Amino acid sequence: MAKSDESRWLPDRRTVLKGGAALAGAAAVSGGLTVKEAQSASPAGTMVIAAPATPQSLDSEYDVSLGTFETVAACYDSIVEFEKIPDAGNAEARREDIKDYPDRPGRVNMKGKLAESWEIDAGSKWVRFKLREGVKSHDGNELTADDVVWTWHRKLALGAIGGFYCNTIDLRRPEQVKAESKYVVSINLDNPNPLLLKLQPNLYNPIYDSKKCKEMASTDDPWAKKYIENNVAGFGPYRIESLVRGQQAVFKGRDDYWGGAPKMSTVIFKEVPTSANRVQLLQGGAVDIAQYLQPLELISLKKAQGVAIDTVPATFMLWIELNAKIPPFDKVEVRRAMNFAFPMEQVVKTVFQSIAYPLNGAMPDLYPGFNGSYFEYKQDLAQAKELLKAAGLEGGFETTLAYNAGDPVQEPTAILYQTALKEIGVKLILKKVPAATFYNNVSERKQPMIFYYDSPWCPDPGYSMNLYFHSKSFINYSNYTNAKVDELIDGAAKTADMDARLKMMDDAQKIVMAEAPWTFGVFTNYSMARRADLKGWTYYTSNNIRFQDFYRDA
Amino acid sequence: MNDNARSASEGSGAERGAVGSKAGSNAALRWQRFKFQLRFLLAVLRARPMFALGYFIVISVIVLGIFAPLIAPYPPETANPEDFLQLPSWKHLLGTDATGMDIFSRIIYAPRIDLTIAIAGTAISAVVGSLIGAIVGYYQELRGIKSFISGFVMRAADVLQAFPVFVFAIALVAIFGQSLQSIIAAIAFVNAPIYLRLMRSQVLAIRNMRYVEAAYVSGASDFTIMLRHIIPNSLGPILSQLSVNIGWSVLLTAALSFVGAGVVAPTPEWGSMIAVGFQSIITGQWWPSVFPGIALALTVFGFALVGASVEVLADPARRRALGGTLKQRAAEAA
Repeated sequence: MAKSDESRWLPDRRTVLKGGAALAGAAAVSGGLTVKEAQSASPAGTMVIAAPATPQSLDSEYDVSLGTFETVAACYDSIVEFEKIPDAGNAEARREDIKDYPDRPGRVNMKGKLAESWEIDAGSKWVRFKLREGVKSHDGNELTADDVVWTWHRKLALGAIGGFYCNTIDLRRPEQVKAESKYVVSINLDNPNPLLLKLQPNLYNPIYDSKKCKEMASTDDPWAKKYIENNVAGFGPYRIESLVRGQQAVFKGRDDYWGGAPKMSTVIFKEVPTSANRVQLLQGGAVDIAQYLQPLELISLKKAQGVAIDTVPATFMLWIELNAKIPPFDKVEVRRAMNFAFPMEQVVKTVFQSIAYPLNGAMPDLYPGFNGSYFEYKQDLAQAKELLKAAGLEGGFETTLAYNAGDPVQEPTAILYQTALKEIGVKLILKKVPAATFYNNVSERKQPMIFYYDSPWCPDPGYSMNLYFHSKSFINYSNYTNAKVDELIDGAAKTADMDARLKMMDDAQKIVMAEAPWTFGVFTNYSMARRADLKGWTYYTSNNIRFQDFYRDA
Repeated sequence: MNDNARSASEGSGAERGAVGSKAGSNAALRWQRFKFQLRFLLAVLRARPMFALGYFIVISVIVLGIFAPLIAPYPPETANPEDFLQLPSWKHLLGTDATGMDIFSRIIYAPRIDLTIAIAGTAISAVVGSLIGAIVGYYQELRGIKSFISGFVMRAADVLQAFPVFVFAIALVAIFGQSLQSIIAAIAFVNAPIYLRLMRSQVLAIRNMRYVEAAYVSGASDFTIMLRHIIPNSLGPILSQLSVNIGWSVLLTAALSFVGAGVVAPTPEWGSMIAVGFQSIITGQWWPSVFPGIALALTVFGFALVGASVEVLADPARRRALGGTLKQRAAEAA
């Protein structure tokens, strides 16, 4: 059939194929260019971070999401900080010196941050800080004792995370925090408290610019909650230039920062939810840091050119809560049996690719007073069966383990555990909980077994043991109760005699390890995945990065 | 026995004989018809090899699922950490996943879950949707409460279909809890409006046919008319939709598992296997997700082909056209 006039103008099949090939080629070239661009390093003063999430609320009183940690660390300063030392196992990394120093005031190795000096009572009943003069906030207001007073009063008034810290140091009344002069502030307790100084460098004890906050406060909102939720009002080295939640936050270094302008003048904190994408971006050079990668990804990145992986011991611990209020975990024998059945070696080797190591205690092994010798739970199925028999559960039982869908290591760990438990007659049903509601499930304490991943942010045995094992602690998610343990923890919180405290916490660890309120999992370490030319990384016990530490190799 | 009685008895015997012979001829007729249909089907499959491929895939998947315990070399839910992330080999044909479970064994066990959910969910939606659709179509455009209810049902179906299917299914599973029954219910719920609309449109076309009018004037009730005359004659498109829908439901089941709203781990299910495996593609372990992905794609493809064949075979006009083509080919070959 002859073609009509119009149809002659239409492209034939061959032309379409040729055009398609040309388009595909053009796309490939442009793709190549994109990769090439990605491989070029960020400008010397710019650092790009691929993170699982951007900051949510910026108020450290209420928000504990990942991006918020980094924001608080970059935009606020604490009064004092731990000295930094090189990491023993990694020449490129530094870390806080959190060892116990019996011959120093407060037995800590600290230096001033917003304070230039301090005095502490030998009995840890009071501490007095002399603040630096001339320190300016983001809004140009000068740091004074009133800022520190207002900060602690806000914690007392709001009673959330800061309220917990007030309770921890036994600070009950506003007048216990006093401005002695324009630059001198004191905290005065009714009883000795060993954490009075140790808690000051905590990431969530930042000092606010009270003048700005008071300006932004209203009758309905006297503590400027609305303002602080979306803005920063501190004395830290960075200010937030922009924040688009779900996309990115941009931080700008402050030239007028009291410690000097940070070397990375611009930090772009991008949300990249999938860890595989973060890996690709780091590998391609599009970002300088990829946060929270999976063990297999870290192993594969070790071979990548231009990428450095630093792994250091950390305070991160992964365990499974055994709810003591839900049978059969009310029986010590059953909880011990669950630990003897846990395939620790296999989990470390397969799920964590040997980057983690066994959680052989009830607190981070980096902290003073840790004792790993009470750990006895090497996998032993025969002993596990014996313990079940002693508990009257010779035939086994059925229970449920809830795990976080957002944490890729939990499901394989649970499957390995399930297979091991089958051997002793325990039928483990796995319950996948969406990441968004997982922590509600943890805090409700209604699951018989649930994973938990945490780290105590104060390097103190009493603080750690109190968090997880005191019957009245709000994060004792296993509902563990032991009057003797409570007594020891309370005793350790009321004396500054560190030797006595260490002895008490050792006794408490012995009881806890024997009664096994958790299935003890692993210490996961902390791994920093960065471009090789990015230097200065420092590990903090709060397991977050601080932009001001970084610089680029010339 | 008197003559009358004998003759009556003989008469009844003769009648029985007549019935018996009629039954026999019916059976023979049925057998003849079955043979013809089988020959026709085989001819169709020869003429349209893609249809044959579809049936082959679907039957293979079903057979593998049924006989999985006999075929699978390893238990599908038992971790074997000594063999984690092994490449495909003679020991593990399709390799192993991060917990050392054999991927081949899990793939052939998976249809037991995927097909059960998909077939049950689709069947429920087809029955419920079709019945409602028949009623709605039958009473459409009449006045009174029945018409009002018909309109209301259609608007409700509009609302249901306005939601993105996947999001709607996730929401349903979240509300009713993560269980096999919930996933089946979710699939039934999201699919029902499709059958409702399909049946309604069929009924709207059929209800004005002469034979329906004849049934009506002969005094048959609405229920009888719908059940005996309308629904049986509206089933063609429903049947072809069923097969396509089963494939689609397998995909939806896998998708729900992929986002963590599906079956409970470590149940062998293609979507959850892909979800667990895809994260390690970037680190070079492609096999834990690629093989379940291929199995899933093939199955959905197979059901789509079967659906296409049913669509042709259930439509008298297209069936006749195909029959004509086959005869012509046979004549040309001869």
